[in-house]
Amino acid sequence: MFAAGAIAEEDKLDRAETGRVLRRSLQFAQPYRRTIWWAIGLVCMSTTCTLAGPVLVKFGLDHGIGSDNARALNIAVAGYVLVVIIAYFVGRGQYLAINRAGEGFLRDLRVTVFDKLQAQSMAYFDRNKAGVLVSRMTADIESMGELIQWGLLQFVGAGLLLVMTLILMTAMSWQLTLMVVLFVAPVLGVASIRFQRQSNAAYLDVRERVGTNLSNLQEGITGVRVIQAYGREAEQERRFVVTNRALYGSHLHSVKVSTWYFGLVEWSGIMSIALIVGVGGFLVHHGSVKFGTVAAFVLLLANLFDPVQQLSQLYNTVQSAAASLHKLYALMDAEPDVAEHPRPVQLPSEGELVAHAVTFAYDGTERPALHDVSLGVKPGERVALVGPTGAGKSTLAKLLSRLYDPTSGYVTYGDVDVRLASLASLRERVVVVPQEGFLFGGTIMDNIRIARPAATDDDVAAALVAIGALERFQEFPEGLDTEVRERGSRLSAGERQLVSLARAALVDPAVLVLDEATSNLDPGTEAVVEQALERLMTGRSVIVVAHRLTTVQRADRIAVIDHARLVEIGTHDELMALGGKYHALASAWARSQPVIDPSAGR
Amino acid sequence: MVKRSGRASSTPGAGGWALLRAVLAEQKFGLIAGMAVGLAWSAGKVTVPKLTSLAVDRAILGNGSLAFWASLIAVMAFIAGIFTAWRRWFAFRESRLTETKLREQLFAHVLRLHVGYHDHTQTGQLMSRASSDLLQIQGFVVMIPITASNLAMVMAIVVILFVQQPMLALIALAPLPFLNVLATRFSRRIHPAVLAVQQEQAQLATVVEESVSGVRVIKGFGAHEVTANRLRKEADDIRTVSLDAARVRSSFLPALDLLPNLGLLAVLAIGGHRVLNGSMTRGQMLEFMQYIGLLIFPLRNLGMTVAFGQRAAAALLRVNEVLTTAPAVADPKAPVTLPEGGAVGAVRFEHVTFGYSADSPVLREFDLTIPAGASVALVGGTGGGKSTVARLLIRFYDVQSGCIQLDGVDVRDLSLRVLRQEVSVVFEDTFLFHDSVGANIAFARPDAPQADVEAAARLAGAHDFILELPDGYGTVIGERGYSLSGGQRQRIALARAIVANPRVLVLDDATSAVDPSKEHEIREAMRTVMDGRTTIVIAHRPGTIALADTVVLLDDGGVAATGTHEQLLATNERYRVVLAALAADDDVEEAVS
Repeated sequence: MFAAGAIAEEDKLDRAETGRVLRRSLQFAQPYRRTIWWAIGLVCMSTTCTLAGPVLVKFGLDHGIGSDNARALNIAVAGYVLVVIIAYFVGRGQYLAINRAGEGFLRDLRVTVFDKLQAQSMAYFDRNKAGVLVSRMTADIESMGELIQWGLLQFVGAGLLLVMTLILMTAMSWQLTLMVVLFVAPVLGVASIRFQRQSNAAYLDVRERVGTNLSNLQEGITGVRVIQAYGREAEQERRFVVTNRALYGSHLHSVKVSTWYFGLVEWSGIMSIALIVGVGGFLVHHGSVKFGTVAAFVLLLANLFDPVQQLSQLYNTVQSAAASLHKLYALMDAEPDVAEHPRPVQLPSEGELVAHAVTFAYDGTERPALHDVSLGVKPGERVALVGPTGAGKSTLAKLLSRLYDPTSGYVTYGDVDVRLASLASLRERVVVVPQEGFLFGGTIMDNIRIARPAATDDDVAAALVAIGALERFQEFPEGLDTEVRERGSRLSAGERQLVSLARAALVDPAVLVLDEATSNLDPGTEAVVEQALERLMTGRSVIVVAHRLTTVQRADRIAVIDHARLVEIGTHDELMALGGKYHALASAWARSQPVIDPSAGR
Repeated sequence: MVKRSGRASSTPGAGGWALLRAVLAEQKFGLIAGMAVGLAWSAGKVTVPKLTSLAVDRAILGNGSLAFWASLIAVMAFIAGIFTAWRRWFAFRESRLTETKLREQLFAHVLRLHVGYHDHTQTGQLMSRASSDLLQIQGFVVMIPITASNLAMVMAIVVILFVQQPMLALIALAPLPFLNVLATRFSRRIHPAVLAVQQEQAQLATVVEESVSGVRVIKGFGAHEVTANRLRKEADDIRTVSLDAARVRSSFLPALDLLPNLGLLAVLAIGGHRVLNGSMTRGQMLEFMQYIGLLIFPLRNLGMTVAFGQRAAAALLRVNEVLTTAPAVADPKAPVTLPEGGAVGAVRFEHVTFGYSADSPVLREFDLTIPAGASVALVGGTGGGKSTVARLLIRFYDVQSGCIQLDGVDVRDLSLRVLRQEVSVVFEDTFLFHDSVGANIAFARPDAPQADVEAAARLAGAHDFILELPDGYGTVIGERGYSLSGGQRQRIALARAIVANPRVLVLDDATSAVDPSKEHEIREAMRTVMDGRTTIVIAHRPGTIALADTVVLLDDGGVAATGTHEQLLATNERYRVVLAALAADDDVEEAVS
């Protein structure tokens, strides 16, 4: 049985939306239209073959056996053989055609949605949860894959078979067909619609409870140390049993829903035979139908019942696939808000990076995260941004590197508005080094090269030399070709940061924007990272979101950000003399510092 | 049949099947009921073609009563309808019950497995034991009553056909065993293909996850091309393996659909001529055709059952492996009780040697005596064994040699529950449950009165911020709830330990994420908590270290020096170096806010 899909009420599409999804899909499937026509043709042929069997049996019974005509019987047999052979090849063909078109469609969808996703701005990624974005690209598309592999053929085939069987039956005996339809249609029709609704609700309930149960399970496993530390195993077990039994109850409910339906289908199938035998026999007695027709009806009944069952089971799945497509198309239609200018200019190789009265508010927030801040960073100058958490330091760094565009005001580099610059030239001039070294799957070499895909192995090595970290990685058994995700070769936090710095060195930008790491490194690595950073900063403009006093003291100027505003700017000595915010920050900091000096106490 | 196919594939993993047998033995009534109603269904179902045939020959083509025969068939419709529903109900109910009970067994067992086991086992693996593996087992159990009645039906039909027309039966039924063979082979071939598709999908998911979580790097360097190319490759791979799977389907499914037609064809060709020469009636011919139609589904199903059984066997093996792993740290056979009254909470480490792997000890011949009610700060470099002391004390691990005593009793002679009630460790890495703040604090003592919970929260410096949460103590926190800062989480974890009211309290870097200004407040409160209670403090902020009466400097797996903070600061070079290294990472930001 096909795994029943389910769809929440709020995800259901109305008629107009369904129409749009369908038109858009047809448009998207353009490259595969020949394969699709083949698939449609083959499905029609296959349905015809399925129906030909009982027809040939009827022919054999009526014209062969009924008329004592052995030749007609042989014709029927030969025809049947031919139908079986054709049906086999048609069957293979339709699977291949549908899958070829379907998988091609999905492949294009994956690539297009991903490209569109990557084109979105940083703000978009802040706004949308990572999990949701990933599930668009995975769960949503995969559910459609399942539909294509199993369901689409059945859905189309079942509908076609139902219609063609009815036509055929009517042609053979309209009276008998009317009897069957009058009996079957109300019972099975109403039951199928009810079943489809109930099973949808039951399945949604099961899915939700599976989710809850799994999170409880996971919480128990990840929290096992705390549970054991307090000896609460028995209580946790009791809690788990509650949700686990609730899931069991939910499963039982969904079985109940399907149980009566399957019983009813079985009942109406055999009842129809009784009806055909009774009414058909009556008609045979009166000479209005031949016996072969009655036999054919008995054999054709399966063609009526199977499709109805399949359609009612697949209906939810098709609906949820349509809803998935709708979401994906919405994602594809979203215009990126930090986009490249249509006629981008190149940035000069050197220049001052200036924020001109920039204000920025995150989406959905009233209060600006940064308010009317102006700040210039001269070539080779080092500026430290300090201030309490959430004051707007990181936001300023993001605006300066055009990860966001300001709500008002603007940012220039060498007197060119960065919004007019080509993204490529901007990324060559201004490089942001994130707080933690994020690693992608692949080797250390691949990970550094991500900053400049065209770089040669020597370029990468040179970048590592520039920050003095080449030896560190060459010591690895597989050197720079070490796979970072493989077991046992996990890079330490410090090594990750070195990779991150090497990326920046590979680009060799004029301006570095750093978000200093808050996490602690072991003292040995700390020194290496510190040194690499110093070498990287030499000769460049640096904007650093600072967390450490040493970093602050090494800066040429310090900008104090508080409550979204730039409140003080100057050298360490100037600001200390000023006796304002910075003075307070620095003294509070000094108080909490341990009064230890390795040389003290001698 | 079921049992036999099970045994055949279970030679390496007899334990897995033994596990299933044990669980199913508890459910034997439900399973027997399922098989009984299944047999009733088979009986009803098998009668229909026979009745149809008699109706044709006696009533349609003869002079019998149409109404009589038609109503007989109608009766069978009720029987088959009711019993097929019941069969389905029992089959699914029992299989879900098996799944549910096994999941509870797994959860209970995993909760009690030693911490060393969890260190080496990924959460995801245990999760998949308790979800996808159990689903495979459920899928097999559901087949047991269904397959039993299907088998009965197949045998009944074969007998009926052979008794009537042995030769025709032989020829008509000849293609049908292939249906079973083909279905089995199909299941076997499609399974790896489906796994390959899942694997490729997982790889694509990795690329997408990386691109989303590493978006700062990608944006920062404008590296879209690189990830886009990776994704394109994965999307192409998915298409390739999906089409491989489609090819397997395309070569089996049409054949499965068409095989029964060969039987029908034989009946039409041979039976037709027999009817012509009078050795068979037309009703019998229709009967043959109907019977062959009835055989299609059960035979395909048998093939699936075999394949499901093989998958279930593998799953059972994996589940059983977890269930048969004995906890390395367990209750002693005859637990000793702790002495009551007087000064309690004396801790003694005697010649303790321990390492996470046998050949690299973290503690070597470690000796430490903490008198009842005293407080000790452990100071040492990263990896020096400070946290290990805490973990050994509550028996997260057992010592390799030497012994640890609590109030003169070897910790291995105490029941785990008692030991862990009397020793509370607050870890740096706080884990809170998806539950209310109040329930999280009262974790160790769920029946603790609200006053105790609030008192503990006050001592931990958490009361004020808790009151500011949307629902105060009722606010649901945890991964899916309200998110707290690291410092807030640590303060709740601290309150949780205070509520437990243990003899010995161990604070393992428990306030590292708390703002230094706030930590100052907690420090005052902590003095109250520590007063008269044995406390081990692992910290790197001098203010916190100074809370303890004595400081013990750990180095190279043993005690390097003992004394007060001031003494060591004044006399010990190594102590100063370690403290300086530990303190270097305190930052401006914390000092400010």
